[in-house]
Amino acid sequence: MNRSKSLGIALASVLVIGAALGLAGFALASASPHQTPLVCAAVQGQSKTCSLTMATYPDSGEGVHGKDGGPHPDWVTYSNDNVILPANSTIDMTIDQYDSGGSLNDAFFDQIMGTTGGTATIDGKTVTHVDPNNVGHTFTLRNIPGSGTYLFVSVPLPADPNTDNSVVLNGTHYNKPVVVQFSFKTGTKGVYEFNCEFPCGGSRQGQFGEAMSTFGYMSGTFTVN
Amino acid sequence: MSDTDNKKSLKSFYWMWGIGTVIAVLLSLWAPGHFMPRSMSGNMRLTILTMVVFSVAAAPVVAGVYAIAIYAIRTWGVHGDDIPPPAEQVRDNPKSVGTWLLVSTVLTVFLLVWGLTALAADNASTGKNPLVVDVTGQQWLWSFSYPGTHVQSNELYLPVNREVEFRVTSDDVTHGFWIVNMGVQVDANPGTITTIHTTPNRLGDFTIRCEQFCGLNHAFMDANGHVVTSQQFNSWLAAQPQRA
Repeated sequence: MNRSKSLGIALASVLVIGAALGLAGFALASASPHQTPLVCAAVQGQSKTCSLTMATYPDSGEGVHGKDGGPHPDWVTYSNDNVILPANSTIDMTIDQYDSGGSLNDAFFDQIMGTTGGTATIDGKTVTHVDPNNVGHTFTLRNIPGSGTYLFVSVPLPADPNTDNSVVLNGTHYNKPVVVQFSFKTGTKGVYEFNCEFPCGGSRQGQFGEAMSTFGYMSGTFTVN
Repeated sequence: MSDTDNKKSLKSFYWMWGIGTVIAVLLSLWAPGHFMPRSMSGNMRLTILTMVVFSVAAAPVVAGVYAIAIYAIRTWGVHGDDIPPPAEQVRDNPKSVGTWLLVSTVLTVFLLVWGLTALAADNASTGKNPLVVDVTGQQWLWSFSYPGTHVQSNELYLPVNREVEFRVTSDDVTHGFWIVNMGVQVDANPGTITTIHTTPNRLGDFTIRCEQFCGLNHAFMDANGHVVTSQQFNSWLAAQPQRA
């Protein structure tokens, strides 16, 4: 086999392998484990306002991860990882927090940031911050770097103090949740990322493993259309 | 090949080397200023200058390597299966070896001295009333606090032309505190405070990134920064909620 033929085969091999890797990457990215989208519901009588309710659970038994909690039934989770919002609108958001908690790594996240008025209502009481030593999770939403948009909302979700075990969801018993309500404004179209900043994942240093290190549990995306 | 043929043949090599060096030097002088981020501090200016100087120093070496490669392919390239026997190898040429050693040593020592001097200057403090900023990395956000003010923010505000002392740490895993436009880059290690200095010298916005892979949302771990006037900085500070 002459040299030019060998060189041609080598180049073709590199191109074919590169194309195969590219296709595999595209297929993996397209098949990201997003749940069915949760669409922010328009509030009747109020233009450019919609209402969104999510929850945080101490396990995955509520059902969004599949039968019996899916592959990791004991992992903490948000109720949704794929949310769709309207652009340039006010979002009235409610989060039902069912989980216990502890101390934040960084007390910075005990503040309510980026909401309308810089406040949130927790079980009916309006606050600007919570006890950093009694937090279950945080709802922290921000723009994706380089997207040219800006959004930052961070709301701590206090640990659930209730022990009544009175709520049944998909056959799983939970305590009555802490109800956290707040509003924020969306800007331009784009994809935004949310995650929890409370170390609730376990396993690794800083407790940021497992549910904190796997898409679809304590993180997800808000798509603003 | 006779001496005359050899010298004639080498002439093309010297031409390629010379032209390649000129092109590489011009690229070295032009590219860093155009492709590196806008400088907003003396540290970044020094970083860009170092990139220029190192590239210029490397230009004749790079051009020489390519010139030798092209010369070798053109002069000794063989087509077909009729491969000639290996040429007689020259094993000693004191002039060439001496020149090679001398040039290599001079270049290496120059780069070493420049690099060490730049590294020392990069983190030097003027000691003139620096603004202290505590920087904390956590998966996957930065927070900044200003000791003595009870202000903590997810955005970094800095006054122009005043030295800043960053005290960098992490609450969980190792992060990398990187202000690209200021040439500030240091690891944020849990349980350790690392100090680094800079003096912003240009008004404008910049981005702080994490440059150590730190988990699921590492790609999203950035923060906005702003260099503002002293008055704007004081106004911003006064408008922030005071933490207890």
